[in-house]
Amino acid sequence: MLFNSVEFLIFFPVVTFLFFVLPHRFRWSLLLAASCFFYMFFKPVYILILAFTIVIDYYAGILLENEQDKVKKKKYLIASLIANIGVLAVFKYYNFLNGNITGIATLMGFKNHIPALSIILPIGLSFHTFQAMSYTIEVYRGNQKAERHFGIYSLYVMFYPQLVAGPIERPQNILHQFYVKQQFNYNNAVHGLNLIAYGLFKKVVVADRLSEYVNGFYGNIGNTNTITSILAFCFFSIQIYCDFSGYSDIAIGTARFMGFDLMQNFNRPYLATTINEFWSRWHISLSTWFRDYLYIPLGGSRAGKAKWYRNIFIIFMVSGLWHGASWTYIVWGALHGFYNIFGLVTKDIRAKWAKMMGFYHLPSVNKFINQLVIFALVTFAWIFFRAPNFTIARAAINKFLEFNFTYNMVQICAEKGPLNLALDFVAILLLCLSYYLPKNLKLRNNLLFLCVTTFIIIILGKNGLTEFIYFQF
Amino acid sequence: MDLPNSSISNFKRFLTGILLPLLLIVGIVGYAFNYFFEQKIIFTNPLCGAFKINRIITETHTNEIPIFGSSRAEGSFIPDSLGTDYFDYGLSGSKLDVALFFLKEECKKKKQQRNIIMALDFDDLIPEAGDIGYYIPNAAYAPVRQLMGKGYKPYYALPFLRYYGTFDTYFKLYLNNKLEVTKVSNKGASLEKNEFSPAYFNMLVEIRNGNPTKLKIDTALASDLLKLVAAHAERNFIFVVTPYHSSFMNSIAATYPLVDSYLKQLTANKNVTLLDYSRMPLADNMYLNTTHINWKGAIAFNHALKDTLNSLLR
Repeated sequence: MLFNSVEFLIFFPVVTFLFFVLPHRFRWSLLLAASCFFYMFFKPVYILILAFTIVIDYYAGILLENEQDKVKKKKYLIASLIANIGVLAVFKYYNFLNGNITGIATLMGFKNHIPALSIILPIGLSFHTFQAMSYTIEVYRGNQKAERHFGIYSLYVMFYPQLVAGPIERPQNILHQFYVKQQFNYNNAVHGLNLIAYGLFKKVVVADRLSEYVNGFYGNIGNTNTITSILAFCFFSIQIYCDFSGYSDIAIGTARFMGFDLMQNFNRPYLATTINEFWSRWHISLSTWFRDYLYIPLGGSRAGKAKWYRNIFIIFMVSGLWHGASWTYIVWGALHGFYNIFGLVTKDIRAKWAKMMGFYHLPSVNKFINQLVIFALVTFAWIFFRAPNFTIARAAINKFLEFNFTYNMVQICAEKGPLNLALDFVAILLLCLSYYLPKNLKLRNNLLFLCVTTFIIIILGKNGLTEFIYFQF
Repeated sequence: MDLPNSSISNFKRFLTGILLPLLLIVGIVGYAFNYFFEQKIIFTNPLCGAFKINRIITETHTNEIPIFGSSRAEGSFIPDSLGTDYFDYGLSGSKLDVALFFLKEECKKKKQQRNIIMALDFDDLIPEAGDIGYYIPNAAYAPVRQLMGKGYKPYYALPFLRYYGTFDTYFKLYLNNKLEVTKVSNKGASLEKNEFSPAYFNMLVEIRNGNPTKLKIDTALASDLLKLVAAHAERNFIFVVTPYHSSFMNSIAATYPLVDSYLKQLTANKNVTLLDYSRMPLADNMYLNTTHINWKGAIAFNHALKDTLNSLLR
């Protein structure tokens, strides 16, 4: 079920109402049933995959807690991780690997006889698999007690607000909340509603509107020019931010309405002044997941510079692969890895340069320039994320490098008309204005905010029922 | 029930302080906005599909010669250049089911004018309703709702909310009509000023050459049209095929006999005339793409059509 659908408009109040009127002991079963319904709305059969990982990790957690022998404990953990990664490997990476084997075999003059699988990627697979993995790892590390209640554990993996696109929660943050008897609370409800409205604004007013232009560009690069390419690249940066952070806002708001606290997933990432800072503001739940479960176990920054840089590069390559089974995602990840390492290597030189240029005396100018540079670098990397293959990515970059700034209204508007382009800028302007609101959206005049946002959503929103981009991961 | 007093009082506060006022404000302001939007933006704009549907349902212009069809009707005719009584009801993206709806509504009217022009698209003899925005304000009318089919949503009955996601479409048409930045508007017709670069147009031609178009006919709709024409002997049906680029005509060569035999059935009726301009020679810069002409092409086409119509309708 999509958050931006009429179905959700009915589903959410009904489930929330039932949640508060039911006795506490029945609430977990209501939420679990609602989560199953929510997930099965996309494609019912894939609930079986979720059931598989839930059963495996539930028992793995208990075995890990009961086992005292460290070697055996490690074996249980590895078995659980293999089961989880195995599901990902089959459903997400099998065809990618097979395609690469075919490519290599063809180059070497062989024929690959391994058949391709005709399966659709289960929605949000990478999200709930990572959430399940974080549970077994935390139990293994002794930071979390094994959950003995099968229903509550299932709810931990399946909690509908964050089931298909995060935030990827840690068991320490969310599991205990399912035992707390939540009461209807005015502040939680209003704050939740504010977050839902703001998330919907980001999704249907900004992201879906900009997507028309971006799709227009990538679908017909031949009839565009450099101005179109610059606009499309920048618009995609804003589109993906609003699409994904919009989802997170709705997820956090939906949970908050019922009294649950989910972790923050975005913190105005395009205001970052370094790439490192960007990643501490973008998809925080995934960045910290990789930090806690991959980067630090690899040695982090404590194993000497060479290994530090290697670890950073590995993290970003894996992050690219997490997003999608395609070389374009891997290049996207590698670019971010390179940016990070380059940023670290040139830190002193850049500081000296800024001092030499006199920017140190103008901290706001220095900050703004850094923000622009980071936005440009991130935007360049997004080209590989958005383009379906390298041919289109190359064509898009070539279009930019043509430096053809001819005034051609049809090309500049990506054949979508001047009004659409004007409304794209209106949407971006509204997004910028929303940055004047308090970050946590705890407002003085909630009714005014909700009324204005509702009108903006109804009047400027796109009703294409487009899926959130991150659902595919 | 598991609700302590604090929870109930919190809920009452939420209901009276936020939810009800929000619904009330959105309801009242939305209703007023809806009224203004329909009266000033939708139902005053002859380029708007919803206006055209509303006009055919609710108004009778006794001397009017209507022009029905799809985007080829909307983007090829210049009503004022043909005469004073023409009005273009063409709806871009719609196909034969919608044209039939217009024809049926027209035939219900008691008019002095006997002539009806129908722009015939070889590729449009199948059902396709086109943009949902054409129908939303008129959805209360049963035949319109029938055209919407599965596209109809219960919330289309609610003022203001029913336009969610489509406000900009109506507004864009309103501006097109007022400003004429990229299109020329004329009594329901909307004619593209744009000319693609020769390189881009050649690319379109190459794509067309590489992809033969398979023409199809929906037998039920085609039969309905034959019945309608036969049942209204008092009206003259003038079917006009507007110019296609030669690459399109070549691409349909294999399946054209199917349409040709249907046209023969149609023209067997005494009250049907077929004016076929499909192969009218026009320069490449007079086309918007391989199936549609632009403003320049429309001027040339209407010049030729006017003479024919004048002699035909004399």
